[in-house]
Amino acid sequence: MTRAPVLAALSISGLHTRYGVHDVLRGIDLKIAFGDIYGLLGPNGAGKTTLIRTICNRITPLRGTIQIEGIPNTERAAMRQIGLVPQEIALYGHLTVKENLEVFGRLSGLSHRETAAALEWVRHAARLDERLDQRVDILSGGWKRRVNIAAAILHRPALLILDEPTVGVDVDARNGLHELIMELSRAEMGILITTHDMEQAESICSTVGFLRGGKVSPQGHPRELVAGLYHDYKEIIIEMRQVPTPSQEKLLLEAGLLATNNNLSWSKFEHPDNISDEHLAYELAQHGIHPREIRLREPGLDSLFIHLSREHDQATKENAA
Amino acid sequence: MIFAVMRVMALHLLRDRGALIMAFMLPPIIFVIFAAIFSGTSGDDLHLNVALGIAQPSELSNRLEKVLRSEPSLTFLPKTYANQAELTTQIENGKVDVGVFVRSNLTTTETAPILILVDPAKKMTGAILSGQVQRIIGLEMTDVGLSRTAPVIEELVGGFSAEQSARLLATVKELATKAADPDAQSNLVETVPIGAAGRTGATVTYYAGAVAILFLLFSAMQSAATLIEERNTGIVDRLAVGKAGTDVVVTGKFLFVTLQGMVQVTLIYLVAALVYGLNVASHLPLLLLTTVAASMTSAGLGFAVAAICTSKQQAQTISTFVVLVMSAIGGSMVPRFMMPPWLQTVGWYTPTAWAIEAYHGVLWRGEGLQTISTPLMCLAALGLIGLVVAIIVSRIRLKI
Repeated sequence: MTRAPVLAALSISGLHTRYGVHDVLRGIDLKIAFGDIYGLLGPNGAGKTTLIRTICNRITPLRGTIQIEGIPNTERAAMRQIGLVPQEIALYGHLTVKENLEVFGRLSGLSHRETAAALEWVRHAARLDERLDQRVDILSGGWKRRVNIAAAILHRPALLILDEPTVGVDVDARNGLHELIMELSRAEMGILITTHDMEQAESICSTVGFLRGGKVSPQGHPRELVAGLYHDYKEIIIEMRQVPTPSQEKLLLEAGLLATNNNLSWSKFEHPDNISDEHLAYELAQHGIHPREIRLREPGLDSLFIHLSREHDQATKENAA
Repeated sequence: MIFAVMRVMALHLLRDRGALIMAFMLPPIIFVIFAAIFSGTSGDDLHLNVALGIAQPSELSNRLEKVLRSEPSLTFLPKTYANQAELTTQIENGKVDVGVFVRSNLTTTETAPILILVDPAKKMTGAILSGQVQRIIGLEMTDVGLSRTAPVIEELVGGFSAEQSARLLATVKELATKAADPDAQSNLVETVPIGAAGRTGATVTYYAGAVAILFLLFSAMQSAATLIEERNTGIVDRLAVGKAGTDVVVTGKFLFVTLQGMVQVTLIYLVAALVYGLNVASHLPLLLLTTVAASMTSAGLGFAVAAICTSKQQAQTISTFVVLVMSAIGGSMVPRFMMPPWLQTVGWYTPTAWAIEAYHGVLWRGEGLQTISTPLMCLAALGLIGLVVAIIVSRIRLKI
């Protein structure tokens, strides 16, 4: 299926949404082209679910526009171009995979014949052949997630929204789901995926956007975003044997290190020319800090995520003060 | 699309054996139990367990004991108690339902010679036993009746002559020695069952309808809870963006639960026909119409409750309360004529009462469509109102 080139699968402009008394979204601009995989990242409570619900016309925005394949999302025709994969396993557990797909095909508006054809396509695309006659409630978590996606694409939507599609699955299953999502991208679906898995976002997303403070900023290609912020800096990671004492913590902060994992992991970014892990180890030892490990790595999306989250937390604290 | 929703519900039921048994086997079983219980307590096959006490045994009291113990509807403890306290203990301990105590000579007119001792929790047993004792004395011990009324007549006519008194005494003695002749005099009161002879008991007919609506309501409430499950598992979120929307989901489920209810009621009446010989065949069209209306009401109420409630636990609590209250005051448990007048009036405002009235009207009173059209229309309207409420609330729930 080919799409009109001027249209985007999803186009959001100046979106403001209030949830209760809180302005959750404060000017979202976002575009997902056909075939794009857009990773929406952000800490819990940033407004990812609110954004999805607003796209699905379940929340009426204060202002701004949302178009799906060029049609305002308030129109029923636009809704039919969405395939939603909720975070929960939104399937009938007592039905087989095939029965589930038949039901969701019919409920997405396909005729019997169209459903049969869609089922043929989906079983191949999602590699479901060997599980078609098994009941969903006895499938493993990975297979359930796969069927969860398959049930949303039977009507070949222009926009596929995946809310945390790989939560709770093992590495093999996750890789399988990544392949499926890439396959759907090749089928020209615009894909919006929310995730906390930075590795996932880095490996499959063509664009990522950080939702913080009600806005999506920055957004761009994962590698370009990381390179833009860190250039050729490296990340020094210090793994502690035990949680540092308050005086040790003060020293680590003075050295420009920031805690990342319950104060057991500390990191900072340095240019390779300025890095001497032996010197750092010596300095730390002088103050009674004996790390379990000091290592260097290329900064990734997770580094960027932590950096942006800290920046946002800092800004929030300053605003509150 | 509606058929797809109905198919999901059907497969769910068929693959859950527990639910299947609950849905289709339990209603006929409960009906048989209810019919057996209530045809015994409200029909003519009532047995009371009684304790008998006689303070001062005499020839008259011995005769009374003999005739009472030979009464088939009363089952007496073997022992005859000599004092009231001992007899009372038997009632208090629950060994008998009621007690009869002969405290003085039966011909005494100053005070009642016979006491009926009643457990306040079983007041009805007192009325029944009192009636039975008076009937037995009137029929089997006419001399006692004559002895007790003669002084009153004597006073009214200004006294008997010596000859009249002697003749009266002789008659009393003669009556006392003669076996009672049932044809000798007619009873003052005779009970005549109305309706055609050979018809299966009204109680069975009544409880078929009463159990049917009770189960329809319980079953519909349970099935409607799948709407909440689907909301919680994200299925409704998924469908909300599709072509079907929630209207189709709610309507499909409503139709399935209505059909399921019709099967349940059919099974109850099938058992009533096979076990109790209830004549169902000649009333099939109206019976079907009543069943459709009753099933619609149950389904509508079930989905309205499910749509309004935010959790399954909340729905279960509310639905149990609603069904129990409606069943109690609507007459599913005890016929409404046994309730206080104000409760009978309140009961009229429940679909349970409308359904029972419609079923009983069709099957027992042989009423036509015109007569039962009011309860049928009330049932169907309530079902449709419930459906509309469920659809609107489900739509509103999608908007946050």
